[in-house]
Amino acid sequence: MASPPGSLVIKSILRQDWLGLLLVVVLAIAGLALSQPNFLSSFNIYVLLLGFSLSVLIALAQMVIIAIGQMNLSVGAIGGLAAISFAGLMEVVGLPVPLAALAGLAIGILCGCLNGWITHTTGLSAFIITLATLSIFKGLNLGITEAQPFYDIAPAVKAFGNARMGPIPVMLVAPVIAIIAVWVLMNRTVLGRQMLAVGGNPNAAELSGISIRRAVVAAHAISGLLAALAGMLAVARLQLGQPTIGDDWLIISFAAPVIGGAVLAGGHVSVIGTCLGVVIVTLINNALVLYGIDPFFVQLLLGALILAAVGINRYHEVQEQARRFA
Amino acid sequence: MSAAEKVLEIHRVSKAFPGVQALDHVDFELGTRQIHALMGENGAGKSTLIKILTGVHQQDTGTLKLRGGEVRFANPRAATVAGISAVHQERNLISRFSIGENIMLERLPAQRGFVDYRKVHAEARRWLDMLGLDLDPRMAVDRLSVAQIQLVEIAKALALEADILLMDEPTASITPYETDHLFALLRQLRDRGVALVFVSHKLEEVFELCDQITILRDGRIACPTRPLKGLNRGDIVRFMIGRDEQGARLGARRTDRDATPALALRGVASPLGHQDLTFDLYKGEILGLYGLVGSGRTELAKVLLGVHPPTAGEVQVEGETVRIKDAATALRRHRIGYVSEDRKAEGLILIHGVGRNIAMTIWSRLTGVLGLLRPGVEADTVMPHIDRLDIRTPSLGQTAMNLSGGNQQKVSVAKWLAAEVSILIIDEPTVGIDVRTKAYLHELIAELANEGRAILLISSDMPEMIALADRILIMQNFRLVGEVANDHDYGRMSEAIMAQIHRGEDEAVAAQ
Amino acid sequence: MASEAFPASRGVKRYAFGWQSFLASNEVGLLAVIAVFALVFAYANPGFTSPFNLYALSRVLAIDVVIGFSMMVVLVTGGLNLAVGSIAVSAVMVGGYLMQVAGLPIPLAVVLAIAFGTLLGWINGFLTVRMRVHSFIVTLATMSIFFGAMILATQADAFNELPRAFIGFGKERVFGFVSILLFVALAVWLGLMVVFHLTGLGRELLAAGASPAAARISGLRVDRATIICHSLSGGLATLAGLMLTMRNGAALPSMAGHIGSDWLLPAFLAPVLGGTLLTGGVVSVTGTLLGATLVTVLTNGLLQLQIGEFWVQLFLGLVLLLAVTLNSLRRAFTWRPHRAAS
Repeated sequence: MASPPGSLVIKSILRQDWLGLLLVVVLAIAGLALSQPNFLSSFNIYVLLLGFSLSVLIALAQMVIIAIGQMNLSVGAIGGLAAISFAGLMEVVGLPVPLAALAGLAIGILCGCLNGWITHTTGLSAFIITLATLSIFKGLNLGITEAQPFYDIAPAVKAFGNARMGPIPVMLVAPVIAIIAVWVLMNRTVLGRQMLAVGGNPNAAELSGISIRRAVVAAHAISGLLAALAGMLAVARLQLGQPTIGDDWLIISFAAPVIGGAVLAGGHVSVIGTCLGVVIVTLINNALVLYGIDPFFVQLLLGALILAAVGINRYHEVQEQARRFA
Repeated sequence: MSAAEKVLEIHRVSKAFPGVQALDHVDFELGTRQIHALMGENGAGKSTLIKILTGVHQQDTGTLKLRGGEVRFANPRAATVAGISAVHQERNLISRFSIGENIMLERLPAQRGFVDYRKVHAEARRWLDMLGLDLDPRMAVDRLSVAQIQLVEIAKALALEADILLMDEPTASITPYETDHLFALLRQLRDRGVALVFVSHKLEEVFELCDQITILRDGRIACPTRPLKGLNRGDIVRFMIGRDEQGARLGARRTDRDATPALALRGVASPLGHQDLTFDLYKGEILGLYGLVGSGRTELAKVLLGVHPPTAGEVQVEGETVRIKDAATALRRHRIGYVSEDRKAEGLILIHGVGRNIAMTIWSRLTGVLGLLRPGVEADTVMPHIDRLDIRTPSLGQTAMNLSGGNQQKVSVAKWLAAEVSILIIDEPTVGIDVRTKAYLHELIAELANEGRAILLISSDMPEMIALADRILIMQNFRLVGEVANDHDYGRMSEAIMAQIHRGEDEAVAAQ
Repeated sequence: MASEAFPASRGVKRYAFGWQSFLASNEVGLLAVIAVFALVFAYANPGFTSPFNLYALSRVLAIDVVIGFSMMVVLVTGGLNLAVGSIAVSAVMVGGYLMQVAGLPIPLAVVLAIAFGTLLGWINGFLTVRMRVHSFIVTLATMSIFFGAMILATQADAFNELPRAFIGFGKERVFGFVSILLFVALAVWLGLMVVFHLTGLGRELLAAGASPAAARISGLRVDRATIICHSLSGGLATLAGLMLTMRNGAALPSMAGHIGSDWLLPAFLAPVLGGTLLTGGVVSVTGTLLGATLVTVLTNGLLQLQIGEFWVQLFLGLVLLLAVTLNSLRRAFTWRPHRAAS
């Protein structure tokens, strides 16, 4: 404890789980930049950031649920439902954009609350509950739209989806705010700490007077909010209210937090790690395109990355145990 | 010391769990400015009492009075709010959180929902200082040693500034030096007016620290609340075990110690920390393995079963050196069985029927063509054991969770009889089991040895150990510190065992 | 309830059977619900009982039953297999290649496809055991890997010139209104009944799933049990995939949706409705059969009633939610599961 504060800061940075990931990201960027001149073009950076914007919201929506030691299969279904509600309310009801957006977010929160409330009251695994609600939300989505997109998107939304400042898409604002908010939530607020405590050791959390119901419902509500935000961003980007929005979010939602070092048993998540996980996935996607490799390859790589991340986590655990017994 | 005032009164409290009366009309009184020892054997009801006081369980009948007013704690939170805090036996820390945040978790200093970490760590620092702990409160708990974790738990309980502090075996895993520091602090708290309840198996700690004592036995009051002064060790032990003479003389066994040992260890070490374990276990013998909780006895059983294979030394079965890589090998190749101390998690499959639980060890032997079980063969094999052990169940299909504790324990023994093992490791066979079944199990264990099985008996129940074992090994800190030949005289034997343990403790201190 | 009231030994029944518990069982309840719905649908819409509809229903039922079994055998271990759809598509594409391109005899191609699916299942089991993580995360990863590899290998092209004999088999009818595929499903049902009720292996699988710690200490090989269940799951998923291929008339990479996720709902619905516990160790083979029947009858009946096909998914989600909630209520009244620390 005698060391000067400066070295303490460096030490605490060195101890972060995400340092290795950062290194991987830096190396990947350097490698791509050197081998592919197009990589650093303004347009390519724009494409990268667009991909990042959406994926990071999806990943955070799953991460807050991993924090409480559960899982949420319905992230995509909530996103899709919010997306078509947002588009439908504008096209059919003629709601102004801000109101439609608020309604979309409210639907996300509502769906999340429902997930949290049912999980907590029944005491059943969130897996089976969110599998059921996944199909309910998706069924609602398809029932309303009959699988037809809403084409009539307000010009303001379309403009927002297309707007860019040089290489930076304007819609990056939403995920950046979300990242900061979730980081503050998880690291600085009482609610966030209580959520992590519930994920880490539910018995201890309860003995410490933490309301498990409140933590669980809050986490699911936040997850729903983030999923809804992602869904509406997808509408802006696609320029239409596509009912299939969210169908392919499952893998990425788990991949990024797991690559970022989240412990699936709950109690530990890393917002920065999750963001870096999304960056890695986005870079892989981009690299496949730049090198002209079959884009379906990404599916295979994502799965392999999840396995590798879990394997590395496991390896660290074993090492840690060995250290303790030594 | 000024006069104590009654702060907590318990009147005729009873609590039953399926198949066992954990507390039976228990009275208990706690005064301020007192450190109150709560004593009893394993299964006497201490933990149940603590759990009722902290709102984890609720009593079936009887009343709790706090400062004269009747209370009933629906949950742990209610007890905390009423000013009762506790150090439980289970670990209750969030491993990824900092020490400070864990200590302050009940009431994180915050402003408008944002945690004030400067304050969290400064506050936590105070409590750590009080315990003389030089730990950085910003450090994560998962980097601490077992002893440090225990001390942080204590700091967490102190931080609640409760006027009643319950401690369930707080010294189980800390060093004598840390214990001294803790005791000094507890005395300070007492003098400041806090009422303390101290649960421990270590008699000398009780004599060193406590003022009052209440002793439980089999869920009843064996010695009502009274000052500790005027009691000696022998009195307390007598109250705890209730029978000077362990009534049942189980008949002496003649063991042939010239034969090849059924099981022999030669300098065995394990990844769990066992060092240099050497002993022989003969056919027809009950070899006791005594030690305090956490001394490495159950862990030794796990080493022998190959869950944590030895890192050095030799294990010999019937004179041949063997490598046991898992319990399947232990059972099938070497006929070794293990009756687990944790019958609900390891001994039984609670959601399966009695028949399947017993036949579990022999399915591979019962199957015929294409792996099919011949009709009725399972029932035919299991029935004799149900008869012999007098297992009370309506049918073989009755799920194990619906049996009483005693019958559950019989089932977890029966499956090894069905498997015809020749070496049986029995771990804490009678914890939480009623007196009648307990006596029966003791007779059974003796009988199993008489029939020629080699039995390694692990128990922290000293009367049980002295009644059953032929020889007693004493384990401490994952080493064997001594051996006593048992003459079944309780007074002499308990003294001898205690002396060995003290010697071991002194050596451990000297080593530091 | 403690059982001290019963006299020892002489009173111990070898088998627990009572009419009361039989009539209150999940299976009988399901049967009643199925009967009620079937009657309602038959009354509301005469087309429901037409031979063609019954044939169509039995064909879908057969596939759903086997999909349900493929998940059930993994639920036994307390794990799950998200990759059922992904395995099925991958193995079916292998089968399609063997039949259409390599020109292997149909039985050989079918056996090889099932063997391939079993191998993919084995990989899941092996990884779960070796990495000591929940099968959720392993199968989440492999569902993506298997599907990605399949798409890369096939370039998302279907095999739509499969031998006529193969496709033809799926169109066979028995008694004029029952698909022959239903008999395949019933054969699987019979096989699984034998495994889980009459063999030592089945008992070991259940014990390992109910309490891995107790099973391991009692000398059972828990890791082996996990691997067997996953392999079996892969094989059964492939069988379901082949049956679906016969119905579709072609081996389609899209037959189970994106990364095979369309199969998840039917795969979980049947065993969960049937009373198989997600926590492992309790299985109802007949329940799964009936669960799938209820789902198929409901789906078919609702579609016949001109309720938009999109609402059916919503409805099935509600059914699943209702089923698990009822199960948990029933359990809360009878017993509380002991949670083993992992």
